[in-house]
Amino acid sequence: MTASPAVSLNDLGKKFRLTHDRNWTLKATMLAGHRTRYEEFWALRNLSLEIRHGQTFGIIGGNGSGKSTLLKVLAGILRPDEGSVAVDGRLSALLELGAGFHPELTGRENIYLNGAILGFTARDIRSRFEEIVGFAELERFIDEPVRNYSSGMYVRLGFSVAIHVEPEILLVDEVLAVGDLTFQKRCLERFAQLKADGRTILVVSHDLDMVGWLCDQTAWIQQGTLRATGPSSEVIDRFATGTEPGEPSNRIGRAARPAFERLSTQDLVKSVELVDINGHPTDTVGSGQPACIRVRYDGQTAGEPVTVALGLYRADGTHVASINSGATTRGLTPKDRSATGTDRSETLVEVEYLVPALPVQPGTYELSVALHDASMQRVLERHTHLLRFGVTSTGADPQNGLVALGGTWEAK
Amino acid sequence: MLVRFLQVDLLINLTRRDLRSKYKRSALGWTWSVLNPLVAVVVYSAVFSVFLRIQPSTGDPSGLRSYAVFLLVTLLPWQFHVTSLTEATRSITANGPLITKIWFPRWVLPTSAVLARFLTLLVEMAVLLLLIAAIEGHMTFAWIPVLLLLMALQLLFTVGLALMVSAANVYFRDIQHFLGVALAPWMFLTPILYPLNMVPADREFLGVGYRTLYQLNPMVSWAKAYRNVLYDLRLPSAERWLAIATVTVVVLAVGFWIFHRLEPRMAEEV
Repeated sequence: MTASPAVSLNDLGKKFRLTHDRNWTLKATMLAGHRTRYEEFWALRNLSLEIRHGQTFGIIGGNGSGKSTLLKVLAGILRPDEGSVAVDGRLSALLELGAGFHPELTGRENIYLNGAILGFTARDIRSRFEEIVGFAELERFIDEPVRNYSSGMYVRLGFSVAIHVEPEILLVDEVLAVGDLTFQKRCLERFAQLKADGRTILVVSHDLDMVGWLCDQTAWIQQGTLRATGPSSEVIDRFATGTEPGEPSNRIGRAARPAFERLSTQDLVKSVELVDINGHPTDTVGSGQPACIRVRYDGQTAGEPVTVALGLYRADGTHVASINSGATTRGLTPKDRSATGTDRSETLVEVEYLVPALPVQPGTYELSVALHDASMQRVLERHTHLLRFGVTSTGADPQNGLVALGGTWEAK
Repeated sequence: MLVRFLQVDLLINLTRRDLRSKYKRSALGWTWSVLNPLVAVVVYSAVFSVFLRIQPSTGDPSGLRSYAVFLLVTLLPWQFHVTSLTEATRSITANGPLITKIWFPRWVLPTSAVLARFLTLLVEMAVLLLLIAAIEGHMTFAWIPVLLLLMALQLLFTVGLALMVSAANVYFRDIQHFLGVALAPWMFLTPILYPLNMVPADREFLGVGYRTLYQLNPMVSWAKAYRNVLYDLRLPSAERWLAIATVTVVVLAVGFWIFHRLEPRMAEEV
C-alpha cells in the first residue's frame, strides 16, 4: 500500500470530433484547407476521481455515459484533451477478450503473442503457461488454430491470459457477459482472489448485482461527468432509483441503504453465516437447494431471552422475506445451550434457520439480522446487509423473476 | 532495461506472427518467397538482358559479367524495400481492433512488419551467396560482415520510412495507394536493372546534371553499395558509407518523430 492513489483523475476531459464530411483523402484536405467542419462532442468532462490502492471500484452509468471511454483513457488507448490521469502501478485492461489473437495461429502461439502485447516476457508466460491453459480448460485444443475455437473457448483463453498477467491495477469492461455460467463464476472467484491479494480492480458493468457484490466503492457516470461516488450499495441504489442524495427514495419501504456493515466487538451478534448441509460456512447456495443461516449472539450480555429476526433482500434491494425465530429457539438463553448442543463458549447462543429448498432465483442476496426481546416489543440490535451470498443456478431451465417455483412440467 | 525499452519480446512475437501466418493454408507455403525473386530474375533477364541488350558493368576487381548476378544483388534488397513498405503501411490500420482495445507501444507494428520481411531477406541473401559461389566460383563469403553491416543499415532506414508511412496512413488512406503508384517508377529510377553509368552525365535539366539529380534518390546509394560488395567485390567508398549512414540516421529520427507526433490519436482515427 502506498500513500498515492492507484488512479487519480483530475478534471479529465475527452472530446471526440463528429465530422459531417469526413476527409479521408489528401486531396479533400488540401482543398478544404482549414475549413474542415466538425462538431465537438465531449465524451468526458470535468471528471475528478481518486481510486486508492487495493480498492475494488465499480463504474456504472447508462449507455453512452462515457464509461468505456473512461476505461480507454485509463488504459492509455485514448489521450485526454483536458485534465490529467495518473496511474500508479502496472495496469492491465480487459476491454475485449482475445483482441490480439490471430485466427491462423494456434492457441499456444496466441498465448505468447497476447501475453507479449500485454507486456509479458516469454519467460513470464512459460512459467504460467500450464496455469493459463488450465484456467481456460483448453488442454486438448491448445495446438489447434484459434479459428477453429468456439466463441466460448476464444473468450476463455483471452480472459485466462489477461488475468494471469497479474496486474496491480485491472480494468474490466463488461467482459463477464460472455462465457457460460460456470466460467463466469470462476472469473468472479478469480477477481475475488485478486481483490484479496490487494490488487486494485476497476469494473465497468451494467450488472448492478455484480458491481454490488464485487466492489467496495462505485462511481456513477452520467453524460461524461461524475454523478455520484461512494459506497457501492448507496450509489447503486441511487442509480437504480434515480434519486439525488438527500432525496427520499421513491421505492417503497427503502431508506437510503448504508454501507455494508461490519460487526464490532461490542455487538451482541457475533456471527452470521450461511452454512452448507455439512455445517461448513459457504457463500453460495444453489437455487432450490437446502440452505442454512447460522446466527451466533452473546446471550450473556443480552441478559434476557431474545428473538432473532432475519431479513432477506436481493442485492438490488428488493425485499424477499422476513423471518422471526420460531418457538423452539425464541427466548433461548445460554443456560439452554446444552439443549441445542452448542458448546463453543459459555456465553454464546447459536441458532440455525434451515430452509429445505431455497425458493429464490439465482442472483446475489443480502441478509439483515435483528435481535428483539422475546415479546418482539423492543429492538435490541439491528444490522442491515450483514451477509451477502450468491444463489447459483441449478435447474436446467432458465427462469426469471424473484422466486423459484420449483415446479415440474409434464406432457399430457 | 534496454530489452524492455526496445520491446524485444513484443517485436519477436509480432514478427513471428507475421511470418507464421503468412503462408498458412497455402499448398506451396514458403516456396512462394523463393519463387517470387526467381520469376522476377527470369523475366527481367529476358527483357533487359536479351531483348534490350543491356550490358552489366564488369565487376571491378571481380571481373564478373553475369546479368543475373548483377541484377539479383540489388533486386533482393529492393524487393525487401518494396514489400516492407507495402506491408508496414497497412500494419496499423489492419490492426485496428488491437489498437482500440489494448495499449502497447504502437511503433512495434510497422517495425515488426519490416523485421518479418528482413528475415526473409537474410535467407534470400544466403541463397544468393551460395548461388554466386556455385555458378561463378567466387568466394564472396569473406564479404559477409560488410554485407551484414549494409543490411543492418538498410533495415534501420526502412524502419524509419515504415514509421512515417504507417502513421500517415492512419490519417490519410491515400498513402497506401500512393505507394502502390510510386514504387514502380522508383525502381526504374534506381540502378537495379542497368548500371549507373547508363544515366547520362553530360546532359542537364535546369542547369543540374541528370546524374546529380538521379543521385538524390537515396536508394541509388544502396544499390551501388550492394553491387560493390557482392558483384565488384570491393568496399564501397568512404563517401558512399557516409551518405548511407547520414540518410539512415536522418530518416530513422524523422520517422520516430513523425510517429510520435501522430501516435496519440491513432486509436480514434484507425
